[in-house]
Amino acid sequence: MSKQNKLPITVVTGFLGSGKTTLLQQVLRQPGMQDTAVLVNEFGKVGLDHHLLQVMEESTILLGGGCVCCSTRDDLVEGLSQLLNRVERGERASIRKVVIETTGLADPAPIVFTVLSHPVLQHHFYIENVIVTVDAVNGLFHLHNQPESVKQVLVADKLIITKTDLAKANEVEQLVQELQAINPSSEVHTAVYGAADAAILFTPAAASGRKSERMVAASMASGAHTQDVSSVSITFEKPLDWTAFGLWLSMLLHAKGEDIMRVKGLLDIGGPGPVVLNGVQHIIHPPDHLEEWPTEERISSLVFIMRRVDPQDILASLEAFQQTFDVEHNLPRMEVLL
Amino acid sequence: MCVLCTGAILQVHWTDRRTAEGAAVPGEDQLRFYRRGRLHRAGLANKILCHYGLKVEDWNGSKFVLSDRKGRQEIIEDLGGLWPAAEKLVGYKLNPLDSVLIGKLKHNV
Repeated sequence: MSKQNKLPITVVTGFLGSGKTTLLQQVLRQPGMQDTAVLVNEFGKVGLDHHLLQVMEESTILLGGGCVCCSTRDDLVEGLSQLLNRVERGERASIRKVVIETTGLADPAPIVFTVLSHPVLQHHFYIENVIVTVDAVNGLFHLHNQPESVKQVLVADKLIITKTDLAKANEVEQLVQELQAINPSSEVHTAVYGAADAAILFTPAAASGRKSERMVAASMASGAHTQDVSSVSITFEKPLDWTAFGLWLSMLLHAKGEDIMRVKGLLDIGGPGPVVLNGVQHIIHPPDHLEEWPTEERISSLVFIMRRVDPQDILASLEAFQQTFDVEHNLPRMEVLL
Repeated sequence: MCVLCTGAILQVHWTDRRTAEGAAVPGEDQLRFYRRGRLHRAGLANKILCHYGLKVEDWNGSKFVLSDRKGRQEIIEDLGGLWPAAEKLVGYKLNPLDSVLIGKLKHNV
């Protein structure tokens, strides 16, 4: 089934008090957002977030009982199925997109997994974006002290730095550097009191693996490793054999899925356009085949973000596999970003 | 759903999404590409699996059969099922970052 018939889901997450609800509140008020269904995950007995998101009250399904996490992702299945039923029955026929707001402690990976693997939901929804809000004032503290926070940043397609008006400029700069060091593949935006453009939230993130020298410079500057996270950018100059590459990556993710936090990139597999690869741990989004290349250059690039894995091992392994598969002319080039 | 074995395929593994969905390929050619792709995949996989004493073969263009030298076999659907099945047959975790494996691959032992 093609993506055209599926509803895009945007997952909004971020640490406790980082401004998820404020952001949504502001964005949902903007014109053109009436066709959005919001699923809120309440933490604690009072569904406070639910009352705040008044505008969307009708489309809001409250996910009962705690985290959207491995343990209760049935709630998410139920919430989305309920929404789907309503859409199909014509009660909510105008719905064009879905927003899931998670709790501050939630791990977004199980949400992605649930949507991609559920036998019914996978045909009706796809994950468009994972947006993570980071508090400019407390963000650094959370990153250093809360592993949940680092995990959220790793999974993000887009990072929104909130409360920049309350923090000093150099603190914000430091935070941006640290965020880019942890997750070089994500976009970083800022928002003061939830004032972000809806277009930022609801357009697919640019799929480029390599961003700019700025990104590399940022990761160099920050120096210190955050929670053993390292990232590496791998490029190929010639088209890749998809079968060979798929064998290697599936084996790697099977063995090290827990530690490879993120795989993201554009791959040239010899077709007219590149393949967009996006993975969170061992969950790989269905690869997207683009019609044409966004830029003139046709270079496959791939960013790996991992924990407790030496980037050199990845390269050595990929080289050995490429050699064995008789594609020696197309050995990878690697650049360690952190 | 396969009508012969009633095996339901609920999930298309990401490595099988090779062409753009809905791409028009002439009927006969499509089948030929499909069969050739599967043989190519089995051939490449065997270059790795031989280091573990395993072998994978295409079975009628619908499944893969993974076997070890003692004759034990596992039927697998796609690459998502290959690695867990391989681990089951060899009895330990397969690791592509393993320096012994990389050494063997590099020197083509």
